[in-house]
This record gives sequence, C-alpha cells and structure tokens, in this order.
Amino acid sequence: MAEWKQWLTAAGLITSLVIPPALADDWGSDDSWGSDDSGWADSWDDDEQTSRLPFELRGFYEAAIGVHLRSNPVVEEALGGKEYNLGENRVQLTLDGDWRSARYRLSGDLVADGVEQAFRGELREALVSFPLGERIDVRAGRQVLTWGTGDLLFINDLFPKDWESFLIGRDEDYLKGTSDALRTTLYTDQVTVDLVWSPLFNPDNYPDGGRLSYYSPMAGGPGVGGQTAASVSDQATEPDDFPKDGELALRLSTRHQGVEYELYGFRGFYPDPQDQRALMAGTGKATHPRLNVYGASVRSPLGPGIANAEVGFYDSVDNRSGDRAGLPHSEWRLLLGYDWEAITNLNVGLQYYLEWTQDHEALSERMDAAGMAEMAGEEYRHLLTTRLTYTQLRGDLMWSLFAFVSPSDDDFYLRPSVRYRVSDALTLSAGGNVFGGKEESSFFGQFEKDSNAWVRARYRF
Amino acid sequence: MNTLIKKTAGLMGALALATGLATAQAATPSVTEIIERANQASYYAGQDGRSEARMRIEDSRGNTQTRQFTVLRRNLEDQGRQQYLVVFSRPSEYRDTVFLVEKNPAAEDDRWLYLPDMDLVRRIAPGDKRTSFVGAHLFYEDISGRHLEDDEHRLVEETAEHFVLESTPKDARSVEFARYRTWINKDTWLPERIEYTNASGNVYRIMENAGVEVIDGYPTPTMMRVQDLESGGQTIVQFRGIRYDLGIPASVFTERSLRNPPRQWLEGR
Repeated sequence: MAEWKQWLTAAGLITSLVIPPALADDWGSDDSWGSDDSGWADSWDDDEQTSRLPFELRGFYEAAIGVHLRSNPVVEEALGGKEYNLGENRVQLTLDGDWRSARYRLSGDLVADGVEQAFRGELREALVSFPLGERIDVRAGRQVLTWGTGDLLFINDLFPKDWESFLIGRDEDYLKGTSDALRTTLYTDQVTVDLVWSPLFNPDNYPDGGRLSYYSPMAGGPGVGGQTAASVSDQATEPDDFPKDGELALRLSTRHQGVEYELYGFRGFYPDPQDQRALMAGTGKATHPRLNVYGASVRSPLGPGIANAEVGFYDSVDNRSGDRAGLPHSEWRLLLGYDWEAITNLNVGLQYYLEWTQDHEALSERMDAAGMAEMAGEEYRHLLTTRLTYTQLRGDLMWSLFAFVSPSDDDFYLRPSVRYRVSDALTLSAGGNVFGGKEESSFFGQFEKDSNAWVRARYRF
Repeated sequence: MNTLIKKTAGLMGALALATGLATAQAATPSVTEIIERANQASYYAGQDGRSEARMRIEDSRGNTQTRQFTVLRRNLEDQGRQQYLVVFSRPSEYRDTVFLVEKNPAAEDDRWLYLPDMDLVRRIAPGDKRTSFVGAHLFYEDISGRHLEDDEHRLVEETAEHFVLESTPKDARSVEFARYRTWINKDTWLPERIEYTNASGNVYRIMENAGVEVIDGYPTPTMMRVQDLESGGQTIVQFRGIRYDLGIPASVFTERSLRNPPRQWLEGR
C-alpha cells in the first residue's frame, strides 16, 4: 500500500513536469479558441527565458538498455558475464548563446554506464561560430559535421562515425561522431566552398571488441580464424603529429534549376587502423594508413521523389600499385539512391552501393598465400538498402525498417524500430540490430552474434 | 462558424461595411480573379514578410503539444515563385531545425529540412506534401500554399459576405480529398473557412482563419485552426510580430541560413 502511494506521488510529480504550466491556462478552449488576445502576450516561451539568462539551457535524460538476441560467449566473457551490451543512464545538457555576431554552444553528456560500470563525460559540442565579412562563416571547436547524399552510407563524408553506438542501439544521432575542427564556408553567387581543417586526426569509433565481437583471421591462433572480442584499439596507434597528421576536407557545391551538384576532396587517413604491416610482422601496432578521396555527387527531384548519385575514389596513398601486403587497396565507391512517399505516410528509400577494389587479383593471391583467403573479400561488393518509414498519429508514432542486404557477400543487417512521442518531453522507442550472413568473416556476417534488441526512454527539458 | 464571421466583420469595422456595399453592387468577378486575389491575400501580401507562430496541437484525448517558430517569406514574382524560411525554437527537440522552401507554382516546390543534431540537410520529396507538418494537423502544403493550378475551381455560391468556391483536384490520386470548399471574404479576400470532403462525401477536415488585423496595410489573420474531424484532434496556430515589406535580402533564403539562422531578420521586432 505504501509503495503504491509512493508510486502515485512520483507519477504525479512526473505528470506535473510533463505538462508545462504555460500550456494549462492561456490557450482558448474549443469554442472561443483564444480569439480574445489577452492570452498571448505574456506566455510565449522565449520572453521568459531571455529575460532571465544570457544563454539558453536545454537537454534530456535518457535510459537505454540493449540485450543480445543470441548467446555471444566472447563478448559476454569480455563483459564479465553480462548478456547486454547497452545499459546506461545519460543526461545531456546543451547551452546556447550569442555574443555580438558570434554564437556559441556547449553540449555534453554525462553517462552512468552499466556495461562498463563507470561514469563518464562526453563533450559533444564546444564551438563558436561567427561571420567573417559578408561572405564567410567560421565555425571553430568541437562539432558534428556531415555532408554527402547517402542514407547511412558514406562515401565523401569522412568525418568521424561512432559505429559502436550505431550497432548497439543508441540513438541514430550518435552515429555522427565529433570533430575538433575549423570549418570555413565561403558563399559566392555561384558556388559555396566548405573547407574543414582538423588539426589532429579523429578516428571512427569502430567495433573495438568489448561490447561487439568481430571476425579475426587469427582469433584462434595463427591461421585459425574466428569470433573475437579482443580490443582492436589496444593493438593500434593513431597518427598524432601536429600539424602533419591533420586532415583536410573540401567541398564545392552549387545548385542549378533545382539540381544540387557537389565536388569533394579529402586528405587524411583511413578512419580505422587498416595498416597491419607492423602487427603482422610482430614489430608493432596497426595504424591508420594515408587516404585521399576525390568525389562528386548530384541530388535532384525526379518524379514524385528525390534521386541522388555519389561517387568517390579512395586513393590508398601508400599502396597505389596494389602490391603491398598489410595495406588497403584503392577503391572506387558508387551510390545511387531514390526516396519517395509511396503511399500516404509511407516513405520508401532505396539505395544501391558498390565498392570496387582495385588490383583485387593481387590482393586475393596474397591473402591466399597467407592462409586467410576470406580476408580478400569480393572485388565488387554490392549492397542494397531500403528504408521504410511509416508514420501514424501525425508522426508521433513511427515504424521504421532499415535493411542492408549484400548479394555479393551473402549477408544482411536489419534495423527495425518503433518510436512513440508521448509528449513534447517524453519519447519511447524500441528496436533491434539483427545481423546475419553465410560467412562469419563477411562485413555484416561477422556481427551475427552481436544481434541485439533495445529499448530507450528519453525525457527532454 | 457564424460567430467567427461576425467577429471578423466586427474587426473590419466601418471600412468593411462601406466597401462591402460597393462590392455587392459591382459585377461578380471571375473565378480566376477570385482565387488569384485570395491567393494574393493569403500568401503574397507585401514583397516580403515575417511572422512568429506557435501551434497548439491537440489530440482527441486532450493531450497537447506545442511548436514555436518564425517564418520569413519573400516573393520573387507576382503570384509566382516564392521563398520561405521556417526556423523552430520550441520544443527543445526541434530547436534550430530549419525548413527552407522554394515555391515554384509552374513546377514542383523544392524543400529542405535541416536537422542540427546530425548537421544534416535533408531534401524532402515533392510527392510528400500532404502529410503532417512537424506533428501538427497542418500539412507541409498549408504552410506555403497549394498551387492554384493543381485544382479546378468553380464559384458555387455568393453571399453578402463571401464567395464560396468549390475546388476539385486535377490528379485525384495525389491528394486525400475529393474536393474542398473555400469561403472567401469579399472585403479582405482572405479565405475564412475551407472544408475538405472525402470520397464518401463527408467533411473530414476544416481549416479556418480568424483574428484578422490590418498590418502594414494588409489584412492578416492572426489565428488559424485546423480540425481533423476523423481523429477528433485539432491544431490552433497563433501569429504575432507580423511585419511586411522589410526588404529581406535573397541571401537569407539559402543553405547558409540552415546552419546559421539569420537572427537579424528572425528577431526583427
């Protein structure tokens, strides 16, 4: 009985938080719908806020849990017997403000992580943005950067990704990692030029053992491939020479008669430690090889939908001839997409994606000779994706299925989810990450045992 | 409905009465002229304009949500191409979300949505225009206006205060309505009520404008309501800080404003 009372008190408290007092009184009821204007003047939210603080503060609290759908002994061992690889309480605070013509933002997460049994802070954004003259905008500091036309497929967007968050069931926003960078954008009448300089290399948060298992050709000892949850980053170093190891990303964009055209250039490093030479020789750690990328994209309305195409050449600078072991080969990457509302409230997005490895024959022969033929992959890796989104209740309820299927690798990755927006403050969501494939070494197949289901509740304030 | 018309008439005052008399005696304008003048009054007033808006979204169980945003608009041609920039401030989930529209009555509109958390510029498919605008009972199309050419219009009734038009879609598959009726005020040329009828002949959606005030010389509704009779929900929109002919430059309606909303124009009151 006493517990019930406590529960009710807590529920009452939450309800009073969920319904902001400003809404309760001053909007007109059905009949008069507020046609007397006494109700308006005093209650617009920003008036109260700006008078009190020089900046604006907002954020959210989120609880998330994700459990394995299959037994995954290597990960469960790495996590000390836990059958879940996501279990956390997270508070994000964001502070926004202006000073003269500059704008600043500070955003950080405090995470109580049940998997790692530790607290940690994550700085998401710490930036200042300001115009420089009439035609230039500058944004400096820690920031989230995105460009390119793909949907969850990235060719010319080499900005850091947090794949671990993506694969274990955190909010899709967390896929975009943070860059410590200086972004300068020049707007001319014809072309917009973006130049992003990251003084220090920012790697991806790639699947790194621990929470996620993956395939290693040497998991069971030399020549014995298998599933492992051993840390990759422990065996890797990052380029960290300032300013030599910084990264540059350039984009030129223009629009003509509704069609968007873009050119891209990138000078930096592979986002994951693909230089295995020292590791293989037993003389040191893996590192991130040099990478240049040149690409282009186009996006345009077509019929009832939006069509896009993007291409990029991945120039593996230290292995242009394709004859060096332990280094990635250059690749062409191509993407075609189409997105439209097939029936009311049902959106369909389709993509075709290709990775064409250069000098694949030489790679195959080398891998074969080393006794790990499976690591050569296919010369042409084809991938199809579909995103189905069905919304009800004017978008408050959203069903979504994103599917990656590779006919060449014989593997797949499904991301079903449902999201219910209970109120402006509270959102509940549930979903899964389901992987499968014929080979345990293929891109998605290696995560088969990492398949998981998750639920999240987010309360915004 | 009647009270609404009376209130509006009252707001218009003596001016409305005087011109109303003159209108009544003049010959009935053509349907084309009526829809063009209504379109002008609703979406093209001034060379440009700004307005703050907030919406209260109510479902049938009385749950409410709010949205608050500022709209900037600029005309490129008479009754033709236009640009819209919509910048959200509330709720916190939508803060700094920006919606950019290039309205193009001769073809399809170009529309972009900027999602600040991922720094993502998403382009919205042309076919996707009669779905909910940010969770409201309004559609994307209600924000920047439906193309006049998409429907056949005819005058079905003329009262002392209104022209009543009935419009049927040229491409019935592209919309959820079978037809709609519009009550256009003869003095202000503003549509005061639109009733949407479905294929089974029932009115299922009603849109109303009210609280008309003359601002910078243009009669302007300061309230709007959209009722969804099927679900029992409704959205009420209130406007404030409305101004016209500010001289908003073209550069405001570009991708630059997605990442860096033009505060000078957004806060210009």
